[in-house]
Amino acid sequence: MTRLQTQGAVIGYGGTPIVHGVDVEVPDGRITAVVGPNGCGKSTLLRALVRLLPVSEGAVLLDGEDIHKVPTREVARRVGLLPQSPIAPAGITVKELVARGRTPHQKVLRPWSAADEMAVTSALHSTQLTSIQDAVVDELSGGQRQRAWIAMTLAQDTPLMILDEPTTYLDIAHQYDVMDLLHHLNTRQERTIVMVVHDLHQAARYAHHVIAMRDGVVAAAGSPSEVFTEELIREVFALEARVLTDPVTGTPMVVPAHGPGGAR
Amino acid sequence: MRILRIGPLGITTHRRTFAVGLAMAAALAALLVFALAQGQANITVLDSLKAAVGIPVGAPADFIVGQVRAPRALTAVVIGAMLGLSGAILQSLTRNPLASPDFIGISAGAGTGAVLTLWLVGASSLWVTAAGAVVGALVTAGLILALSWRRGIVPLRLILAGIGMGFVAQAATQYVLTRMEMHEAGNALGWLVGSVTGRTWTHVTVAALALGVLAPVVLWHARALRTMEMGDDAARALGIHVGRSRTVLALCSVLLAAAAVAVTGPIGFIALVAPAIALRLTRNAGVTLIPSALMGALLLLAADQVAQLMPTTVQLPVGIFTAAVGAPYLLWLVWRASRGGPA
Ligand SMILES: Nc1ncnc2c1ncn2[C@@H]1O[C@H](COP(=O)(O)OP(=O)(O)O)[C@@H](O)[C@H]1O
Ligand SMILES: [Mg+2]
Repeated sequence: MTRLQTQGAVIGYGGTPIVHGVDVEVPDGRITAVVGPNGCGKSTLLRALVRLLPVSEGAVLLDGEDIHKVPTREVARRVGLLPQSPIAPAGITVKELVARGRTPHQKVLRPWSAADEMAVTSALHSTQLTSIQDAVVDELSGGQRQRAWIAMTLAQDTPLMILDEPTTYLDIAHQYDVMDLLHHLNTRQERTIVMVVHDLHQAARYAHHVIAMRDGVVAAAGSPSEVFTEELIREVFALEARVLTDPVTGTPMVVPAHGPGGAR
Repeated sequence: MRILRIGPLGITTHRRTFAVGLAMAAALAALLVFALAQGQANITVLDSLKAAVGIPVGAPADFIVGQVRAPRALTAVVIGAMLGLSGAILQSLTRNPLASPDFIGISAGAGTGAVLTLWLVGASSLWVTAAGAVVGALVTAGLILALSWRRGIVPLRLILAGIGMGFVAQAATQYVLTRMEMHEAGNALGWLVGSVTGRTWTHVTVAALALGVLAPVVLWHARALRTMEMGDDAARALGIHVGRSRTVLALCSVLLAAAAVAVTGPIGFIALVAPAIALRLTRNAGVTLIPSALMGALLLLAADQVAQLMPTTVQLPVGIFTAAVGAPYLLWLVWRASRGGPA
């Protein structure tokens, strides 16, 4: 089952198509990883999935309905997005940032409700930020800051969460921290998650479904073991690679076929 | 973050912001009483309050307070609030504390529009001048946008284009002044310094009307403004109509600045400084609208009182005074930005 999909979606900026007619299905209750080289259109696709960009041909369907016919606020109650480079307002505290995730649930003259408070408390708890909720976001470590942003998206309380490169710029331990958190949100809270990740090993470990993109098209989609093959890595990333089996999880593990300096 | 809920309107604010807002309002009320009662004619506080609201108390007070001090002080309060609000909106939209209508040429453009109207139509009525100022400000804002547009608004380009447009507008104003009759040019020049002296109830009415119409629109979009500080993508993903909200808010900011210029002439630095002080006092994240407006009112009224108390033979126009106080702040901002701090 899928609540979110595209059908022949052509997406671009000001008339220049970047993504050329893709069919993507986001499986419900699963973690989907979007992988592909820089500039291949991953963020562009994600933006269209949350209606930040129009499609010039084809459609994005949310619960079977053309997403552009769904009211803006309603979209924001069903799909949340953590953009690639969000800006933390100067001096904002963790809790204030997380509280902003409640925006689509509020109206101009409606007060901060008990439901809002609860969603924020629970988002802080899930991301283990409760003890530093009054800290200023600018002063946090990279890993904590990323958790704060995820908590904001969490407080939005959408069944579908889309995260654009949630682990980029984090050290390896914090990358796994974020991945474990997403896994937790997926299994315990049954959230459907779509994430862009660059580390194929992580994608294979944590995602149930992988969408591999190249030059604005979907090169392959399926389970990690279906997608991460030597031919596909060559085709998508132009990299000769071996696919081994992760000794811990049994998932595919992609390693370059050449040693240092050996490729050229 | 302690959130405070206020009554049936369901306005939510932080406790500290609310307390600071209350303190500013109280200070404003006290300063207003001072402005009404203080002066060369000896009028008691009670009499001046009565005269200000139109209760007759006798010869000198009825005129001096009722027709001179009250409209002057209220003009300062309302225009100060408009400038504070206008600056707060621009600073939030551009995420840059240097953005304010006086700094990026909007006020100068309004001045050109107003002077051009004075030249073409004559000083017929304040409404006509105000219309000229609004047109001048809108044209300037449009040109600034056109010059700085790159796939969207780029704050730093916008500010630089605005500074440039400000000089162009000033040159245009000066050209018009050279074409005017001597006495007309003298009047226009006096107005261009920015002053609240000699303002009447008509001025108060025009200003109050502009604020009364625009402030609710701005406050209605306050949540959108706040959310857009996190970037367009984040705001859209949170259900904000980014394009529409930004257009409405920018338009309100320009109109507030234009109306202010029409009533008092261009008064610098209030719009630049008030939001910054409000931010420091409330310790809010991002720009705060109501405290910025209150701070603007407080600053302009205080500046005009101090200007009146200056031991100069000629009364100092408040515009000169705010410039003298605001310029060091601007220098400090630029100095900090040049050292790699947040611009
Ligand atoms: N706002 C924009 N306007 C125009 N072109 C853009 C914009 N954002 C991205 N692009 C272009 O779209 C292409 C794909 O970008 P993007 O979707 O961000 O790639 P990815 O996320 O896979 O690295 C790039 O060539 C980029 O230059
Ligand atoms: Mg990207």
